[in-house]
Amino acid sequence: MSLNFYRRVAFGLSPNEKPDKDPLNWAINQLDTIPDLLWPGTIPTEKDLRKKYGEWVYGDREVLRKKFKNDKHAYRKAKDELRIKTGERYFELNEHAIRHFQTKYSKQPVFERFWLFWGNHFAISEKDFLAEFSTGPYQREIIRPNMVKTFEEMVQSVTTSWCMIHHLDNSESFGPNSKKGMEWGETINENHARELLELHTVSPNAGYTQEDVIQLAYIMTGWSHKWDRKNLETGDIWFDQEMHQKGDKIVLGVKYKNDAKRELAKVIHDLATHPICIKFVSTKLCRHFITDEPTEEMIDPVIEAWNKSNGSLIEIHKAVITQAYKYNEITHKFHPPEIWLMQLSRMFDLNIPLSFEKMNYTFKSKPNNRQRQLSWILREIGHSPYRAKQPNGWSDLEVDWVSPELLLRRFWFASVELPMLVKSGNRSHNFILACLKNNFEDHENMASLIENFRFGTSDYDLGQKYGVICNLPGVLKI
Amino acid sequence: MNCTRRNFLIGGSTTLFLSGYFPKISFASMQKKNLIIISLRGGMDGLTAVPVIGDKRLKKLRKKLILEDVLNLNSDFGLHPKLEIFHKLWQKNQAAFVHATNIPYTGRSHFDGQNLMETGAHIPYKEKTGWLGRGLLASNIIGKGLAISLPMPLLLRGVPQNNNFFPSPDFVETKLIDQIYNEFKGEHNELIKSTLDTIRQRPLSMQIATDSDDRKKLALEAAKQLKDQSGPRVAVFDLDGFDTHAAQGGVDGAHADELEEVNKIVTILHENLGQAFDNTLILTLTEFGRTIKQNGGYGTEHGYGSAILMAGGLLKKSQVYTDWPGLKKKELFEGRDLNSTIDSRAVYNSAMSICFNQDPEFLRKKVFWGDELPDLSQELFKI
Repeated sequence: MSLNFYRRVAFGLSPNEKPDKDPLNWAINQLDTIPDLLWPGTIPTEKDLRKKYGEWVYGDREVLRKKFKNDKHAYRKAKDELRIKTGERYFELNEHAIRHFQTKYSKQPVFERFWLFWGNHFAISEKDFLAEFSTGPYQREIIRPNMVKTFEEMVQSVTTSWCMIHHLDNSESFGPNSKKGMEWGETINENHARELLELHTVSPNAGYTQEDVIQLAYIMTGWSHKWDRKNLETGDIWFDQEMHQKGDKIVLGVKYKNDAKRELAKVIHDLATHPICIKFVSTKLCRHFITDEPTEEMIDPVIEAWNKSNGSLIEIHKAVITQAYKYNEITHKFHPPEIWLMQLSRMFDLNIPLSFEKMNYTFKSKPNNRQRQLSWILREIGHSPYRAKQPNGWSDLEVDWVSPELLLRRFWFASVELPMLVKSGNRSHNFILACLKNNFEDHENMASLIENFRFGTSDYDLGQKYGVICNLPGVLKI
Repeated sequence: MNCTRRNFLIGGSTTLFLSGYFPKISFASMQKKNLIIISLRGGMDGLTAVPVIGDKRLKKLRKKLILEDVLNLNSDFGLHPKLEIFHKLWQKNQAAFVHATNIPYTGRSHFDGQNLMETGAHIPYKEKTGWLGRGLLASNIIGKGLAISLPMPLLLRGVPQNNNFFPSPDFVETKLIDQIYNEFKGEHNELIKSTLDTIRQRPLSMQIATDSDDRKKLALEAAKQLKDQSGPRVAVFDLDGFDTHAAQGGVDGAHADELEEVNKIVTILHENLGQAFDNTLILTLTEFGRTIKQNGGYGTEHGYGSAILMAGGLLKKSQVYTDWPGLKKKELFEGRDLNSTIDSRAVYNSAMSICFNQDPEFLRKKVFWGDELPDLSQELFKI
């Protein structure tokens, strides 16, 4: 089995890891439990950060805008101070550090790859201040704990999470015949219902109609944040009966009796266990780990594992890995920029993320450049994980990641930025050779391409070496 | 108000097309013609951009989204106040609009819709190339596509050696590429390899380091290159954020901010293309319009018919070109959306035929599988 399996399903091998004699077993054994988050620095809770979010929007919207309504300059200054005080510019950086640290040091890197997958399947795109305060904790507290449960349980948690409800506007959706809908002349907002069908579960392949979307939106009415004057939209999620559409609903031909908050769990059960949903999500999993256009032959065993285990994500993950192993030698898969960065970081033990002591934040001044570095790199290579442009998340297809500028940015990172991230003890040519040997069958060929620079240890020399190595076909893809 | 259904359009050009009439295009013209597409992702609300001021129903259905200070176009249609440049160009016959138009897609999904607006096909994800890429290929115009975005938009795929401009923060030594180029072997490395080819052939001006957040700089570089006789002939801009389910706003607000971005790009292109603006067409592209009625969050839902904003010296005249379907409940698509009475692909096909000096009939077959798309060149563009 080629060493590239460790990059297909994980992040490659760090300098002190050795290949396992049974790679498939090595990978499969990582999926039964949820590894602890390793980041030794602050890991704030979703609730704490939502409180910060609340302080930020309230402070800005209700206080500063009114106080400085006639003085743009003073307003801007006060707003910047509020950013610092609430950590508006900081928490996303910390989340990136937590995430990167995890993929770099986790003893269950295969589990971490699935964590990235699900976070992107149930993506939170760039909207309001979600990336700043909410998407990171959502990944940690909603996605992660559900990865040893069933797919259905995952969908339930995601659908009723504050982050997703805010992301897809469900708090603004009123049943037109509900108490509040009638009183205020309000109606539904279809956004969340449509994406629950299209992106999270059955996909358009299920052939649902506009009426299905409306009926599902009716079922979802009432699931909203509890609004109050001080917290604005950052209150907890609850079911507001006074917003809920009364009467029976029909989605995809199934009738859901008028049953208030219980309707949602029932419809999610039916969607998450729908054969088209199972096929859609299994295909996405195979696309992520095996190849851009997986065949039915590749996907079918995953579907089978899904059906046999009633949607147990542990069993589904194991089936995906088994398939990835089976097809490892005959398929190719391109790695999007963030995974590429994580792999380089693990294989060459790069100096990212910043140490937790230095990531510490005092809420007294802007985050410094070092604290911003990892997030800035992610952005520049085109893959800031919590800022997908749209709710369908980041693409898993090579064609979406190959353009002159996107490739140039990889050259930029590897030749300009990366040398500054090489630890002082790792600047020798032999270190690079050892890392290559640990991770690549054709390490000798790779080494020959940087042979000219074998005596060089300056940033420039390292840039020439890493610029070449990191952009070789066998590193950009497997 | 005389916003009732008018039939001046469909009858006219279909007959022309069926009779095989084809206007003579001056192939002698050596002037390079530019086609610029601005993708508006999320569903651009045609009724916010180009409101039908002659129909009181619009105001009634959108109490919270009312536009004041609408710029006047004609007795029926106005223009969003943030679209100033279009109003300015309108006076000079260099801006026009196609209204109540969309790609033939009614599914209301962004992702299927965006896929189809770019591929021009009927089934989402079936085609892997964009209509613009296929149009370039069919016209044998290779290596002349420029995307102003970090990824290569699907719209341009299908023709090799497209470029994009979205520079990294530092200068990158491209000689590194020479050292590894030969390592890219085999079919599975073809895409990367041909992209490396493109990088190696880039003009020096594209190797600058700049702040790609600065849309102004990006548009400026695009204008500079399009102006060059040997430069690109097609440019694609990519904007998102039109999906305003909540707080859509009127004169200000989320949709207005996005329209302002469009206005900025067109303004910079107009200012910097100089004479080349006379040989340019700028067209917007979106996946669908939005519901007539406002929703629970003072936004609008995914709809159907929208509008195409057009600018450039290759336009025939200032006009709102439409076969207006009306806003009465029974006139709406599924009782909720502005209908689409013009397949927007007919507009794009005609625009390509003008800019690529190509027979629209030929393009229709090569690019759109022979779908029935009337030639609108005579009505919309200078030929």
